[in-house]
Amino acid sequence: MDSVKLNLTGLARYRGREGQFSFLLHRLTGLGTLLFLVIHILDTSTVYFFPSLYSHAIEIYRSTPMMIGEIFLVFSVIYHGVNGARIAIFDLFFPNLWNIETQRSTAVWTLAIAILLWLPAAFLMGRSLLVHNFGL
Amino acid sequence: MSATMEQISRQSVEMQGSFENTAWRWMRYSGLLLIPLAWIHVAIQDVLVGVHSIDLDYVAFRWASLGWRVYDFALLAFAFAHGVNGLRQVLFDYIGNDKARRRLSWLLLAFWLIVSLIGAGAIVGGVRME
Repeated sequence: MDSVKLNLTGLARYRGREGQFSFLLHRLTGLGTLLFLVIHILDTSTVYFFPSLYSHAIEIYRSTPMMIGEIFLVFSVIYHGVNGARIAIFDLFFPNLWNIETQRSTAVWTLAIAILLWLPAAFLMGRSLLVHNFGL
Repeated sequence: MSATMEQISRQSVEMQGSFENTAWRWMRYSGLLLIPLAWIHVAIQDVLVGVHSIDLDYVAFRWASLGWRVYDFALLAFAFAHGVNGLRQVLFDYIGNDKARRRLSWLLLAFWLIVSLIGAGAIVGGVRME
């Protein structure tokens, strides 16, 4: 419990700027996507193991809170991918460029690219939510 | 004379082949592969098709083509292994004890295997129409 408390207060106090922020966002989006992935593998598996349950699972996905969550899920998948590409490309091909200046500017670019890619998807999904659940 | 940050960042370190070394590299390879795999999947199913158009018939229609089954199988294999190993790395940051780390690794391996087998079973078995 102490280590959890230390971590939470540490996250609030430590001022690691862009690098720390992208580290945190990478972890949160990764863990969130994994949580969804486990549920998604299991509910999709019902098509073979318990086909009659599949429509119940889909019914839950069609609810308003789940559809809003899905919009955030898509942001998580996009951000984790763009930032992961940044990490992989530097680690594998340009390890010499890992310095504070490059880290700061690429971390900001990563977030900007992720948001730009996410906006059209969020628009389409938001419209689908309004059309299906609010009769727009 | 003390080394500057510049010098330290340019030191090359010979890494010995170990499981953690391989896992570190595979997180990057699988991550790069997952960008097209996961993004195309999400773009089609979540954004373009949408959950309101998905039902048993839709899954059966998609899995009628072997290509999409192979695609989904690859996505399952790479995404879930990448995710569980990522979870392992996050948890290792909070667990220092070697014995606890080993126990956790076995637990996560079992969890990964069971969920992967369930998912793979469904992809191979396909939709059972009642």
